[in-house]
Amino acid sequence: MRINFIDETGVHHTFDGVAGDTVMRCATEHAVAGIIGECGGAMACATCHGYLAEPWFSMLPPPSTQEREMLSGCIGLKANSRLTCQIQLEDRLDGITVEVPNSQV
Amino acid sequence: MDAIAPLMPGVDFAYDEVTNLHELIEELRGHGPVVPVKYLGSPVWLILDHALLDRAFNDLEHFDPGDGYRIISSPSMGRTLQVMAGEEHRVSRAAVSALFLPLKVRSYVEALIEPIAHELMDRIAGQREVEFVQGFARPFPFTVITRLLGIPVSDEALLLEWAVKLIDFPWDPEGALRAKAGFDAYMQGILDDRRRRPNGDFVSMLADAEFEGRKLDDDRIMGFFRLLFPAGSDTTYKNAGSLFACVLGDPAIREMARGSDKDREKIVAEGLRWQAPTALLPRMSTGDTMLGGVHIKKGEWLLFGITAANSDPKVFPEPRKFDPSRDNRALISFGRGPHFCLGMHLARRELETALRVVLERYPDIRLTPGKTVEYVGGVLRGPRELWVQPYGAA
Repeated sequence: MRINFIDETGVHHTFDGVAGDTVMRCATEHAVAGIIGECGGAMACATCHGYLAEPWFSMLPPPSTQEREMLSGCIGLKANSRLTCQIQLEDRLDGITVEVPNSQV
Repeated sequence: MDAIAPLMPGVDFAYDEVTNLHELIEELRGHGPVVPVKYLGSPVWLILDHALLDRAFNDLEHFDPGDGYRIISSPSMGRTLQVMAGEEHRVSRAAVSALFLPLKVRSYVEALIEPIAHELMDRIAGQREVEFVQGFARPFPFTVITRLLGIPVSDEALLLEWAVKLIDFPWDPEGALRAKAGFDAYMQGILDDRRRRPNGDFVSMLADAEFEGRKLDDDRIMGFFRLLFPAGSDTTYKNAGSLFACVLGDPAIREMARGSDKDREKIVAEGLRWQAPTALLPRMSTGDTMLGGVHIKKGEWLLFGITAANSDPKVFPEPRKFDPSRDNRALISFGRGPHFCLGMHLARRELETALRVVLERYPDIRLTPGKTVEYVGGVLRGPRELWVQPYGAA
């Protein structure tokens, strides 16, 4: 399955994702600038914030209370904000597109 | 474990200054990714490998931090996030985490962190030479915490005395418990006051904090207050010392530090990697397991080799080179997993602000020529002293 990241300058980067991996893991493995994921995916650092494009955003299960709390403290929160460590890749999400924020901090 | 002889029996990683820690680590790496060394006079397992340390931080079945902290710190520190596990930890942490998220921490920079940095810079005005660890690095993060807690300036010295003693339980149990009594009585007064008259400050927000409908009781809030000092002050000051030693010691990095916020973020990340303030983190195993080819039994002690993992050449090429341009996403200085350092954003903003303000106020500041910088400590690590000349050669 394919996964797309749009960096802060608007450039698209496309990679092959592995079902079961998280979007955050895919980003850090491919050194996508701007997604850090410092705690390793425990919803404890708020450094993997990203904006999910449609139709994928609406296809995802809604964020947990804990993810919503963490998101509320992120810079540049938008309606389609998610912590990318909480998004598991699956085949039906092929083409999922994530816009990287200007800054996590 | 007793039957296993430690490598380097002449070195005790708890008691010795280990000025050559990184050389020792490179030598130990030749013996395997997890090796026996001496700590507090006894053999313990030291994890050197980045991937294994990442795994251990995330493996709460075998390496839950609670059991170890209950032994070394609970009597004087009380019920902190470090000893909580599972649901209790998740809920208590979530209740306070809003105070430490990026958006909130950004607001502390202008309101709190910057004025304190300037205040400390005022104090060294006119001096030809200053010992920078005591003159700035140490009081800076400490004062950020006391001001966050609304403690009057006149009581800061008292708080410092208690804060230093609170974590001294393994060495001075009576002193630590006396400090706890004094600290608790004092802070309970502030907490009670904010409960009666909330004013929107940090303590008021903490008193009111809730997650999934649950608020923190006084016991947990007091535990949290106590934890702020060792977790947020001792670590940050050690790293601030190391950071300034590196920045002032290299003209190119110093020039970069005068650049943009992003430049300073990179320099601070590299400083946190190059000389992690919590170099080796003691932990007790909570279940039998195999790690890196060795069998670790329940109840045995380990050292989580944070500074070793940060210099693992498989992850960080040329690891002992201070290179702010490297990709530091794999940095492990703040741990991993659900117990990941709550104050990470605050620590980084403090260090970045310190770089900016110090170089703005004293553009010619330099390390005093002829005085060498020695890094000391196996657990908490930073420069013993850092002599600087605020006005350069003038």
